[in-house]
Amino acid sequence: MAQKEFSVVGKKIPRIDGYERVTGQAQYTGDYQLPGMLYARVLRSPYPHAKIISIDTSKAEKLPGVKAVIHHQNAQVPWASGGHTHKRYIFNNPVRYVGDSVAAVAATDRHIAEDALALIEVKYEKISHVLDAKEALKPDAPKISPDGNLSVGKGSFSAPITEEWGDLEKGFKEADRTFEDTYISKHVNNAQIERRVSVAKWEGAKLTVWASTQGVSNARTDIAKDLDLPLSKVRVICKYMGGGFGNKNQAQDYDLMAAVLAKVTGQPVKLEFTREDDFIGMHGRWASEQHYKIGVKKDGTITAVDLDAVTNVGAYRKQSGNLSGTDFYQIPNFKKVVKPVHTNTVVGANYRAPAYPQSVFGFASFLDQIAHELGVNPLDMFMRNRVRLYKSKTPFTSNFLEECIVEGAKKIGWNEKWHKAGATPGAKKHGIGMALGGYPFRPGLGAATIRVNPDGSAHVLVGVTDIGTGAKSTMAIIAAEALGIPLNRIQLTNGDTDVTPFCIGESGSRATSFTGPAVIAAAEDVRRLIFNVAAPQLKAKAEDLDLKDGNVFVKSDPTQRLPLGRAVARSGELIGRATTNPVFKGVEGKSFAAHFAEVEVDTWTGHVKITRYVAAHDSGTILNRLPAESQIMGGVMQGIGMALTEELLIDRPTAIPLNPSYRDAKVPTHLESPEVEVIFIEHSDPYGPFGGKVIGEPPITPAVATVANAIFNATGRRFKELPITPDKILRAVRV
Amino acid sequence: MEEEAKGKGVSRRDFLKGLGGGAIGTAVISTGLLDPGKVEAYPTESIGTSRGKSAVNLKVNGKAYRLEVEHRETLAEALRDQLGFTGTKIGCDRGECGACTVVINGRNIYSCSQLAVWMQGKEILTIEGLAKGDKLDPLQEAFIEHDGPQCGFCTSGQIMSGKALLLRNARPTEEQVRRALSGNLCRCGNYNREVAAVLAAASKVR
Repeated sequence: MAQKEFSVVGKKIPRIDGYERVTGQAQYTGDYQLPGMLYARVLRSPYPHAKIISIDTSKAEKLPGVKAVIHHQNAQVPWASGGHTHKRYIFNNPVRYVGDSVAAVAATDRHIAEDALALIEVKYEKISHVLDAKEALKPDAPKISPDGNLSVGKGSFSAPITEEWGDLEKGFKEADRTFEDTYISKHVNNAQIERRVSVAKWEGAKLTVWASTQGVSNARTDIAKDLDLPLSKVRVICKYMGGGFGNKNQAQDYDLMAAVLAKVTGQPVKLEFTREDDFIGMHGRWASEQHYKIGVKKDGTITAVDLDAVTNVGAYRKQSGNLSGTDFYQIPNFKKVVKPVHTNTVVGANYRAPAYPQSVFGFASFLDQIAHELGVNPLDMFMRNRVRLYKSKTPFTSNFLEECIVEGAKKIGWNEKWHKAGATPGAKKHGIGMALGGYPFRPGLGAATIRVNPDGSAHVLVGVTDIGTGAKSTMAIIAAEALGIPLNRIQLTNGDTDVTPFCIGESGSRATSFTGPAVIAAAEDVRRLIFNVAAPQLKAKAEDLDLKDGNVFVKSDPTQRLPLGRAVARSGELIGRATTNPVFKGVEGKSFAAHFAEVEVDTWTGHVKITRYVAAHDSGTILNRLPAESQIMGGVMQGIGMALTEELLIDRPTAIPLNPSYRDAKVPTHLESPEVEVIFIEHSDPYGPFGGKVIGEPPITPAVATVANAIFNATGRRFKELPITPDKILRAVRV
Repeated sequence: MEEEAKGKGVSRRDFLKGLGGGAIGTAVISTGLLDPGKVEAYPTESIGTSRGKSAVNLKVNGKAYRLEVEHRETLAEALRDQLGFTGTKIGCDRGECGACTVVINGRNIYSCSQLAVWMQGKEILTIEGLAKGDKLDPLQEAFIEHDGPQCGFCTSGQIMSGKALLLRNARPTEEQVRRALSGNLCRCGNYNREVAAVLAAASKVR
């Protein structure tokens, strides 16, 4: 598709709900107060693996204000019964990690609910536990899942995850040198600022859940399945969402607990997680141990990659546990075996680009190391091995990774600044590093409704929740562009399954690519209706009409025109709708990125300061530059945290998480935020809505490895285990 | 320690209870500070004593209120649950994230770490009190223009810390803005936007 002239797309447009967000008017899930509403809290297991022998709630129930206590005996509700993995309940017996839900209390206020938790008497019989993924695979390890510790799932969730192409043996034979090493990443919490909260209310047989979810439609599907209700009897609402980064996909156990407590008590229930609950009771990014064998030619060209890895998915399998960081490289002969393993720890599941940053860290660090050992400049190494064909065979819808590398390197001044590792004299050492990343751009099911009012204004109804990506604004921009009316004539209604049509939800960077095409199709649908109504008024044929800037006009003579409000004044309401499900045939979609960082490593303190950061992205046409740039900067920040500070520490003997709080998890602050220069390599993608590809997930993918490689260039020391904390740096540079 | 225990937002008791009654003995390991003997008896003792109520007179956004508050109720809870000022968010409820930041007598303070009963005679400014009628505060305008909110959950706190800064220093440097806002976490990682917005607001006011 040639680059089109757009009227609304491609500008820097402030979010359409900016006013609500800066005035405190935006109503997030926890802000809803309903008459007679109860507050609920969750009791969690103090043991990593134990059978519940008895649970005595009598003292808790006697506490004035307590209305209901639910637990595994009186509330056996499956959680994610429609999922791919083994069955899990909202309360499980045995409990399988410190933090596993044991009971929930509803009371007249949250303090009473908290007091009541302390009055529940639970007798546990401890079972031996295992924390390490490799230990868990040993035959004599404690058995966590009934099916064994190698997680068993269905389809893409099966285990082990294997992938193979080319001829590995031949590839290694062709290599001039073969390298082998292991890289390790740790469990990192998503740590979104909005704690989990759910408000549930029954009206007869109809359940309404104000959820904090990344996808209202999927949340509804899950809740209906788990509670065995028809879809029509479940309404899920989420209009403002305070972040999730993958750990608020679909419905979660607390939505179900709130629904059950509301049913039992006959009153609306608000169930709130505490911050500790949020850190240990849900999930973070799966930890991994990645063993690579890589064959290369003398010039650095990859001939074969063999990846053998374990990932720690914790006590329950929620998502894939895969590692996909090799995606950005042209690998002619490839084999991957990833084993998602159960341990008695917090669940490892989706966090922004789930299978990528930890995996890119391992692979791009190792490539950087191999470049060093071959005496090849890393820029040449990454350029030479950049991906051209998906899995060495399928072309991409568009691929401007090369331009990302070229422009990013130019911007940071790679050729002038790169030096041999550890070459800077003095205690403060300069380093520069880079890595490649991106994320799949897939087509899929989307739906939208557009209602054009008699005054020419329009309602756009879409199911997006807008988790911070600016999806509401993007949908309004797409609608304005496709309809041909000014953006300020559009009212967007989102996130309510009784009102808005199906939406895949904001996970996997799918809002724009799935729902965007539906908005365009719905606009085309309603434009047809508009032209039918306007044709007799303009004494023209409907097919000869066009609509732009809010005016309906005759294509051959634009002076023959009517303001939209006049054209549809007597039509009541014109409704356009579309459900779209495009497919890619013989092509694969991907957004690409090349990141570059400069660091200063203080070899006296071990402190790493990121002095400059350049992020070059190929995401096709950028639909709205303002939030798009914010997304890039934010992904980089999360990557920096993962690279330098964040890790959930677990006390070995007790299996208790030691740092489930912001301060102790060391989430980056304003003081750790470097300037991030964002470059968009903009080329319209032939398959994307208005040429756009995905943008939410790509920026975190190369960030961890970029920082790690810059630290190597500064210190001459390779860090193979995350996070790269000052103590590790000091130990390495002092030897 | 005595006062800290009463304050819901910062109490270690609540941290222990978050893990559940059965966790008490072991949870001590993670704080490393409490005498296990004392902790064992704590929850049952505190129930009953902490539920007293007192009246408190305070001003919020220029308007005087008289509230009946439970002694363990935090300012953040009173603002949100009693007065309906839900623009003040609670992100951690333990003085770490800054989502609940309000301006009290000119200073930016975590409202989750203040008990409502301590607010006698205090003047509190929340996000809802910034705009003058339809006219947004320059900070609010700048946060819209510079894309200050991504998910928006930390935004009120960021703006209130920015407000307190500009009240005492109308011409801050970038470094001063970063420092002033460093107690306000933004997991969307939108720090540079928030700093740019505060600097833009400062230059507008000048």
